[in-house]
Amino acid sequence: MCSNERRQGPFRYTGRKKDRVSSLGYTGKKTNHYEDTGHTILPSKAWGNGGNMETRAVLWNPSVRHTPYSGRRKSREEEHVEDQIHITVWRDEKAQKREVEQFTEDGTLESWFKVTIPCGRKCDKTQLMNSVHSLCSVPFTPVDFHCDKYRIQFFVQDSSIAYALKDVSYKISSEDFEKIPIFVNPSVAPYSVQNRFTREQMEQLKLAMKKRYDISQHALCLKKLRFDPDLMNHNIDMILNRRSCMTATLQIIQEDFPKLLSLNLSSNKLFQLDSLFDVVKKAPKLKILNLSKNMLRTAWELEKIRGLKLEQLWLEGNPLCSTFPDHSSYVSAILEYFPQLSCLDGRKLPLSTGMDIEEPQLMKPRKAIFKGSEAIKNQVQQFLQDYYLIYDSEERQGLLSIYHEQACFSLTIPFNPSGPDLSSMCGYFKDERDVKNPKEFHIQRQLLKYTKEDIVGYLRTLPKTLHVFNSFQVDICFQMEKTLCFSVSGLFKEVEGSSQECIRAFMRIFIAVFESSSNLCIVNDQLFVRNPSPDEIQGAFAISSPTSCSSFKLVLSQEQQRMVQAFSTQSGMKLEWSQKCLDDNKWDYTRAAEVFTMLQTKSKIPKEFFKQMT
Amino acid sequence: MAMAVDFKMYVDQACRAAEEFVNIYYETMDKRRHALVRLYLDKATLIWNGNVVTGLEALANFFEMLPSSEFQINMLDCQPVHEQATQYQTTVLVVTSGVVKFDGNKQHFFNQNFLLTAQSTPNSTVWKIASDCFRFQDWASI
Repeated sequence: MCSNERRQGPFRYTGRKKDRVSSLGYTGKKTNHYEDTGHTILPSKAWGNGGNMETRAVLWNPSVRHTPYSGRRKSREEEHVEDQIHITVWRDEKAQKREVEQFTEDGTLESWFKVTIPCGRKCDKTQLMNSVHSLCSVPFTPVDFHCDKYRIQFFVQDSSIAYALKDVSYKISSEDFEKIPIFVNPSVAPYSVQNRFTREQMEQLKLAMKKRYDISQHALCLKKLRFDPDLMNHNIDMILNRRSCMTATLQIIQEDFPKLLSLNLSSNKLFQLDSLFDVVKKAPKLKILNLSKNMLRTAWELEKIRGLKLEQLWLEGNPLCSTFPDHSSYVSAILEYFPQLSCLDGRKLPLSTGMDIEEPQLMKPRKAIFKGSEAIKNQVQQFLQDYYLIYDSEERQGLLSIYHEQACFSLTIPFNPSGPDLSSMCGYFKDERDVKNPKEFHIQRQLLKYTKEDIVGYLRTLPKTLHVFNSFQVDICFQMEKTLCFSVSGLFKEVEGSSQECIRAFMRIFIAVFESSSNLCIVNDQLFVRNPSPDEIQGAFAISSPTSCSSFKLVLSQEQQRMVQAFSTQSGMKLEWSQKCLDDNKWDYTRAAEVFTMLQTKSKIPKEFFKQMT
Repeated sequence: MAMAVDFKMYVDQACRAAEEFVNIYYETMDKRRHALVRLYLDKATLIWNGNVVTGLEALANFFEMLPSSEFQINMLDCQPVHEQATQYQTTVLVVTSGVVKFDGNKQHFFNQNFLLTAQSTPNSTVWKIASDCFRFQDWASI
């Protein structure tokens, strides 16, 4: 009996082996899978595992293919085997665990979908997303939203949402009237979901952010958030470029700082703003945003947050700032995204909401200003009258008494004359003085007149003039106890040489000291002569302000009064204009009459100069 | 002769100061507007097309509200100012002319003149604006 029993044992072993060999062809693929796994994990027990698998394959494979119930039965069979062999229990437990993991993974895979909308670079991404939301029959929250110039991508979790989004495909048209497709595909979980913050991490982040929140200003400062000591102590890497970090931050803003007005994200090495897309919804009251000292390369990144109604924005310290040729084009580009912006990089912008239609207003010019006492005003007026009466006279030698012994004088004409006729400036051109060319330093020194004798000698060589007093505008630039700096600009006419009757514009700067209680003595004199614009000439002759005229009113002698009356009678001009004409011509009645006739012939005298016909 | 030699020295100093100043001033005006006010003395006065602006705070506000600018300088002249007029503080008269475009406005020809005073510091001389007078040439047509 014993001998028979022992002999039978080996026989059974041989029989099993034979069965395994015969079944390989039938279940080859699956067998290989399990065998490989067993070999990798438990090489010394591969044979045993194979044997066990043989049994399962032979007994249950056909049933598994047909019904889930068979699967359960298979499991029960495994339990049965476990009861008999201890080692087998351990191995099966491993396999079962692996199957469970696979099932979980499959479940996750099936619940996430990636949505891609290729919309072209001209498309307004924010507007497009609004259209998608309104057309989609199921409300959804985009996760890990990303957009570049050509397309939008985001994730959604739920097959019903996925199907609803598919239905929106080709139902939205672009500005070019092209229908826009929406592609929806199963996907792995998005990055921020896979790296979602734990509850504990969220609590720590919330505490850190509360310390950085100014309740009175509704301002949150997340500058250099990565180096926050509290967060570093808890080993939380707050790198805001990472989707999961920004998502957590925005979630806390939405929950704990709903009235957020000002957000400082400077110095966080941000190179794109995809993760900030949600800020439009999570911080709807945001008006002030600081993105300075980051790594944004193009202004186009602002497209992703253009839904914000920003009033103040900082962008300085980003590479994008140097991509603009000048400051005004930089400002214009930023205003494209945030038209309500009133302050950029700390500087107020001239445009504001209320002035969108109007051009920026420059402060309006005033003709003349006289600060300080009336005495100064009168003194300057008297000085100019005296000076130009002598200057316009046949002999300029009389100016000698007005200049200081060590006075200096210089004359300039434009580098690029505003008038086309440069040759007409030849009376001044040969002595042009311009400091822009450093090689000519020594020449400038020679061209600068020094001492009153040299100055007056030089002035006498310049063309003869007749200054238009009405065109004068005077500024008192600088004033001290004994010093006065004032400028006068206006028009004059040349009255001799090839440029006779030619009109010039001038700007003169005098620096004078009070030599006695009332005498001004010139120590510096600078003259700039150019050709006037047609508007300036027209303007000068159109001026008919009584104040302007009377400001240079003379005390007339009886003879002069008679001349004015006679001239007015003959010319038909008003008394004040007759007086001015005579005065401009040095009270030479004949000369004044000739000038008047010439101007009248050329129709250069405005109607307002004449008396009303009675 | 001695006087003439001194005068030439002053002229050379004025030329160097003027050229350096003009480069700094208009670049700061166009590109670093917020720093412009630092070029002025505390009690400096600006007359801008006849409007008077006095003091650093008023100047800062004025430049802040001025639209962004693009200046092109066509003429530069300078003179040393006589010591009798300056209470013995070294002063230079700088005169410029050119074209400017303010954002949103048409181009204008302009004249501008400055009085610069030398402020001694341990390392170098710094020129500051004591007065600044700016005028459009075509003011009548505005």
